Amino acid sequence: MIEISGLAKRFTVENPKKLSEQEKKDPRLQGRYFQSVRDVSFTCEKGQVLGLLGPNGAGKTTSLRILSTALTPDAGTVKIAGENVLENPLIARKKIGFLSSSTGLYGRLSGRENIAYFGQLHGIDDNIIDARISEMADLLDMHSFLDRRAENFSSGMKQKISIARAVIHEPELVILDEPTTGLDIMATSTVMEFIQRLKDKGTPVIFSTHHLDEVQTLCDRVVVINLGETVFDDTVSAFSDLSGGRMHESFLKTLEGSKEVENNVVNL
Amino acid sequence: MWLIFKKEFKELIRDRKTIMFMVVLPVLLFPLIIGVTVFFTSSAIKKAESEVLQYAIVGDAFAPQIAQAFVDDTEHFERVDIGDNTDYASLIKSETLDFVLVIPEGFGGDILASGQQKLSLYLNDAGLNKVMSRVSDITDKFASEYQATAFGTLGLNTEQQAALIEPLVIEKENIADDREVWGERIGGLLPYFIFFLCLQGAMAPAADLGAGEKERGTLETLLISPMERYKLVLGKFLTICAAGLITALITVTSMATWGIVISQGMAIEFVAEIMALVGILDFVLIFFMLIPIVAIFASALLTLSIYARSFKEAQSYMGAMVMVIIFPVLIAMMPGVELKGGWVWVPLTNVALAMKELFKGTMDYFALFGIFTSTAAIAALLITFCVYWFNKEKVLFR
Repeated sequence: MIEISGLAKRFTVENPKKLSEQEKKDPRLQGRYFQSVRDVSFTCEKGQVLGLLGPNGAGKTTSLRILSTALTPDAGTVKIAGENVLENPLIARKKIGFLSSSTGLYGRLSGRENIAYFGQLHGIDDNIIDARISEMADLLDMHSFLDRRAENFSSGMKQKISIARAVIHEPELVILDEPTTGLDIMATSTVMEFIQRLKDKGTPVIFSTHHLDEVQTLCDRVVVINLGETVFDDTVSAFSDLSGGRMHESFLKTLEGSKEVENNVVNL
Repeated sequence: MWLIFKKEFKELIRDRKTIMFMVVLPVLLFPLIIGVTVFFTSSAIKKAESEVLQYAIVGDAFAPQIAQAFVDDTEHFERVDIGDNTDYASLIKSETLDFVLVIPEGFGGDILASGQQKLSLYLNDAGLNKVMSRVSDITDKFASEYQATAFGTLGLNTEQQAALIEPLVIEKENIADDREVWGERIGGLLPYFIFFLCLQGAMAPAADLGAGEKERGTLETLLISPMERYKLVLGKFLTICAAGLITALITVTSMATWGIVISQGMAIEFVAEIMALVGILDFVLIFFMLIPIVAIFASALLTLSIYARSFKEAQSYMGAMVMVIIFPVLIAMMPGVELKGGWVWVPLTNVALAMKELFKGTMDYFALFGIFTSTAAIAALLITFCVYWFNKEKVLFR
């Protein structure tokens, strides 16, 4: 089980004068500091897929970066099977697979080399890496471009390699930050199928998205974050029931009272 | 750490831009620039020396022998007649004439009677034209004749003549050997080129390994790998060092090889002299002194690159760094600055001075201790700071 409790994280604003009018009105801005995450808490059971929703700038990416140990929180705890990952991030990183929102690859390496490099960073034997790459090439349909240099890959190709890279070490928890953003229908479908496979294997998946149809199709739980705080944490059916099955309206309802919602686009 | 190094180096040698700065520039461009410059300069000098000059003489009736000497030298001079009250400057500017020689009224060969004679030469001295020297070649013959006649009239013997021409002579006894002379001349300039090439070789990979990671979105993924941050930094640092050192090695080897090729193959005297004087051990020492220098460059460049948001931003910081690097090298070129006392401990300047001393053959090898200690200390400090920098969230997630 993954337990996230009372996460908080603030950043120093380098130049407050350069902020937009909307940013200046954000209640999380306090002088030279921006309280990106104020109080984020949720849980995810083994085998569950958790959809993380929220308007742009709500604190989803910061929360996921804390979960992945890329950032250290100012307050709060993250526990995987009862162990606080923040106390020993190096061990925690072996248990976590993280796909950031930018599908960055090393352009002068081939797709295979990109994946293998991260397998080696996790200390996996080369033979095992080769076997896992072959397996994932089948699952994600990557054979045609696996040995080509990544510099000319399409967004879909990059995302497939990125996903394979994130799970090469067979993590206990997979975190995906907007994995389908910018992808075409075919690539989106492949990513969705891959998440479903992880779910079938019993691997918990936490992924942020703006696509409510993905949440409805894949997720067991929904967490909505707004202005750096958890404003909803329950099952998909409970979320859907908020507005009689209309996911979009349910989402808006969770943000009720927040003016920022008017400025954010949610894709249905 | 070696895993990071291996991967980064693999990427590095697949990058054409980096290979260009690391290999092509020091091997080909460096000697090519020098070769082309020497070729065009010597061609220009030859042309200036052999070109037929268009001239006019005003007042030739006052010194017909001089005027006739120019007329007789048809291989080098061609007379053009100009009218009275002509604007000499406009004729020379319009390239109708190369020079105008004006002989004053009352010019005479008896210098005891007339005193010093003055001729006016109008020319455009801005370019490489050799007009002055070529005119002097002719007039000097007459000057010698006038002088000899005057001395004869005065009845002076050879010693008296010499004493009158040059009453006081300083006989220079130069204790510096040829190597020291050449070392002083080119040894100061050499570190400037070598440092610059090492820096160039390290700059492209440094920008790629720090800011490049941010720009292509691979940094975050790397940060959450189960590898200590200091190992990530050291792996990257070693890669940049390798790039800088390969550039340094290629530069020094290229310099030695081209020196031998030019001196033996093309029989250029002064290069042959230098190559005969500077030994292989000197080149090896130069290379070893570049190791801590490259480490300083690598850690400073990586620090800047990690801080930058993008490749472009990193390059602008590095451009400013070049100016900082040039300053201590320029100090080493200043007169009076030698590898003694406090200068032994001044990083970069001490290596630049040591290179000069090596070329001069006057190296105090005990100074190597100070050079290596100070440069290694600075490099260690910078790399420690770089590791600290790489742990700062506000730097990594700017």
